[in-house]
Amino acid sequence: MATTYDAIVIGGGHNGLTHAAYLGRAGKKVLVLERRHVLGGAAVTEEVFPGFKFSVCSYVVSLLRPEIIRDLDLPRHGLEILPLDGTFTPMPNGDYLWRINDHGKTHREIARHSKLDADAYDDFGKAMQPMCHFVKPILNMVPPDPTGLNPKELSKLLFMTRRFQKLSSGDRYNLVQLMTMSAADFLDQWFETDVLKATMSASGIIGTFLGVRSPGTAYVLLHHYMGEIDGAFRAWGFARGGTGGISNAIAEAALEAGVEIRKESGVSKIIVKGGRAIGVALTNGDEMYGRVISSSVDPRHTFIEFIDNGSLPSDFVDEVKRYKFRGSSGKVNLALDALPDFKCMPGSGAHLRGAISISPAVEYMERAYDDAKYGMFSRRPYIDMVIPSLTDPSVAPPGKHVLSCFVQYAPYKLKPGLAWDQLRDDFGNTVINTISEYAPNLKNIILHKQVLTPLDLEREWGLSEGNIFQGELSLEQLFFLRPAPGWARFRTPIRNLYMCGSATHPGGGIMGAPGRLAALEVLKDVN
Amino acid sequence: MHQSRDVIIIGGGHNGLVTAFYLAKAGYNPLVLERRGQVGGAAITEEFHPGFRASVLAHSASLRPNVIRDMQLEEHGLKLISPDVAVTSLSPDNRSLVLYRDHGKAAQEISRFSNKDAAKYADFQIALEKTSRVISRALAITPPEISRPTKGDLFSLLQLGRSIRGLGKKSTYDLLRWGPMAIADLASEFFENDLLRATIAARGIFGTFMGPWSAGTSLVLLLRAAENTNTPEANAFAEGGIGAITQAMANAGQEAGAEIRTGVEVVSIKIKNEITQGVVLSTGEEIAARAVISNADPKATFLKLTDASLLSPTFTKRLQNFRMNGTVAKLNFALSALPTFTSLNGNQDALKSRIQIGPEIDYLERAFDESKYGNFSRAPFLEITIPSLIDPSLAPKGQHVMSVYMQYAPYKLKDGTWTDQRSDLADVVVKTIAQYAPDLPDKILYAQAITPLDLEQTYGMTGGHIFHGELALDQIFTMRPFLDWARYRTPIRNLYLCGSGTHPGTGLTGGSGANAAREILKDLRR
Repeated sequence: MATTYDAIVIGGGHNGLTHAAYLGRAGKKVLVLERRHVLGGAAVTEEVFPGFKFSVCSYVVSLLRPEIIRDLDLPRHGLEILPLDGTFTPMPNGDYLWRINDHGKTHREIARHSKLDADAYDDFGKAMQPMCHFVKPILNMVPPDPTGLNPKELSKLLFMTRRFQKLSSGDRYNLVQLMTMSAADFLDQWFETDVLKATMSASGIIGTFLGVRSPGTAYVLLHHYMGEIDGAFRAWGFARGGTGGISNAIAEAALEAGVEIRKESGVSKIIVKGGRAIGVALTNGDEMYGRVISSSVDPRHTFIEFIDNGSLPSDFVDEVKRYKFRGSSGKVNLALDALPDFKCMPGSGAHLRGAISISPAVEYMERAYDDAKYGMFSRRPYIDMVIPSLTDPSVAPPGKHVLSCFVQYAPYKLKPGLAWDQLRDDFGNTVINTISEYAPNLKNIILHKQVLTPLDLEREWGLSEGNIFQGELSLEQLFFLRPAPGWARFRTPIRNLYMCGSATHPGGGIMGAPGRLAALEVLKDVN
Repeated sequence: MHQSRDVIIIGGGHNGLVTAFYLAKAGYNPLVLERRGQVGGAAITEEFHPGFRASVLAHSASLRPNVIRDMQLEEHGLKLISPDVAVTSLSPDNRSLVLYRDHGKAAQEISRFSNKDAAKYADFQIALEKTSRVISRALAITPPEISRPTKGDLFSLLQLGRSIRGLGKKSTYDLLRWGPMAIADLASEFFENDLLRATIAARGIFGTFMGPWSAGTSLVLLLRAAENTNTPEANAFAEGGIGAITQAMANAGQEAGAEIRTGVEVVSIKIKNEITQGVVLSTGEEIAARAVISNADPKATFLKLTDASLLSPTFTKRLQNFRMNGTVAKLNFALSALPTFTSLNGNQDALKSRIQIGPEIDYLERAFDESKYGNFSRAPFLEITIPSLIDPSLAPKGQHVMSVYMQYAPYKLKDGTWTDQRSDLADVVVKTIAQYAPDLPDKILYAQAITPLDLEQTYGMTGGHIFHGELALDQIFTMRPFLDWARYRTPIRNLYLCGSGTHPGTGLTGGSGANAAREILKDLRR
């Protein structure tokens, strides 16, 4: 009989590791099982080509919860966030929009496009502050059950109502709009410069199967706006050594807390006996036993693949099947011999150190979505690029660079007759051609390329349908509805089985909040 | 000023008439001022071609039962007709789905396409009935004051809360989950057949600037279903056209003591010391009143009729943000004979209600796509009625009228103007219908095309929006027309709103007019 652990965590992504670290620090004997040869899940750094290290999937960070950084003492474990300064949007007419973290410069730059917008941009930033402050406690809250009669639950709802009532009328108006409107409609109310609206609206659609004109995307805008590093709102960054640096730091913290981590240990089944989860079976046939099983993988794997039919109530299975993934993005990672040279701003200036966004117009963004709706990748996609080797030279050989391109839309589900394995090259070339329109030298400096389709994200990283957030961040899949109505509290219909990944509240991004909140709930139950 | 009134109502649309009736019944003598030659607003019957009369805009209705009852509309000459068929949905493969009002018969019809869907039909119907019990309650109350709810607000919220509790856990979660969903998703949670999905989805997009994949379109369906729970929307028609409804309303109002003047245009609302004094007519005449109620949409009321300098910047900003760009056009055809819809094999019953062309979710979505970029749909979503089949008096003997809602026709065109594109629009509609009824072109005697611009210029709906403002998550309930001003009152004392731009504002129901009257009466009695 093998050892019995207090908790077995399925999946060594950033949430699984965070979850394990919190349990370990509470004195529990914890085992993390990771299927791949490397930790981090989608928050991973891999040396894809010799000398070139890529943040293969997730490439920037801003949402990592400060309390996790503090509690797990991540800087001591090697976490270092390097600033990603600004967003540079080249335009087809030879102009550009370049926003950076310098207020005066950004103001002058926006004023070059529209004086009204330059002022509105300041007002916008001010208006978003109370929104972030309103939503922040919700990120740290176990979602209440609005249908329950438990006074504790009702008091949570009352707490939220009260806070809403206490907002000023203007804040309430903005909040309601953010929760319900489309990013483009919302931004239309503030700004007139198309390229500014297009670039800002992009953060409303990242990772979702929605367009900038789809209602509900304004919320995702806020979700990304909330990014905080060291307490400063709206600051994005890179982890030194790539995004995997974050996962590694969390793993170090977990190891220090006594957590055991096993790689190349894929789970094939969750063992359920008498309505309780008691252990897991590995793909190699080994069985491990634990008092608590926490799954950081998505609900489709957890409940449909790992659990035998019949162990779960059928209406719960229906809810899981209904849960929408609909991956919409791909990734193109390029190893470069030199830096791309943008026509609108030649040379290797500071504009290459931030994000470079191919989002020249709102209509461009919306048309990219239209292609995807009917089952084809965008012929002219939205691309968000970063060149981390400029900020962190350790990720590429001297003089060489890595260019990481997040591409949307790349729908998981293609129209009949098309298959991702046949389209991969075409997709990669579309991305390279699109960027080349703005930086013509790109084609000549590519040493290696890695093209990841949503199907690859599913196969290699276990993200069902390639959804980077483990499920759409749409209104009907948030808060007390994530991942299923009535099951938003990290518990599941099977006793001792918990969920702790991005498919639970508050959702995706390198936030760590689901892992932490779930750990606190597990500890409540076991202690 | 030579006369003073208790109440003046600007605009004799159906909501204005409903408000007038309730105020008259309570003993106030409202004066309704209608710019056009007849009351009715968008609910009118007009002779659009010699001998041919049509419900030129709204062509079917789902009036609130209590409004019909209170106003005794039937006693005032209204004969509502409820055809056996709710909607007939045409498919390009020369099939058609005839959804009967009767659920059993509808399910039988669906089984020709999918047995699974036929079995699920009852479930969907039950779900709609359950949620509509709660939503119809929410539609009937005045949206609460958020920062300081009144006793009345708390009472109605408590009632609402209890009816939500009454749903039980599963249905409550359904309601919470469905609201923000795309109607395409909701329809596919229940059904597999695309024609049926599209038929149901149509209710979620009708009149809106959204496609079936837009989040929140399920809510539009739920809102409409709350007034009319039949799955495919079993609307009523009126003998003499939809104008008969507003004629009966006018009669009821007058009998209760309201005065109605037509052909009288209000050019401004007279305000002194931030208090409403009355109205000024285009003739220069001024009429004083204790209260002025506007049935016009919020933008027309405040941007055209009111001195803008009296409004706070916040109010003006919210007003300008209120989205009301229309997406529908209306076409009325005088026909020498009934066109032959090939898929129906002469089943005339199937033509007596609404006929839908919009056979697939993707078809509807593609129709929407074009409008996002400022073009009208080349393969549009159409809702057709042939009212002369149920009321032959609308057309000369043996001839017919056909009324068509065309969507999407965006108010703002990218290229050209609606005046240039009017004939193109009619061509596209005729060609689209001719795919299902090839002999249509030979039978057209006359075509009247009403573009969104006409809706604005002739019928006074800003942006040509038939609902006086987009029905979207951010523009309903306490946010209709916008936050802090959803209680029919306005920043100007004694000036009120009662049109579809206020809660609930979901179509030809009379809901906004009835709710507004209740609030206004509270103030008048003070």
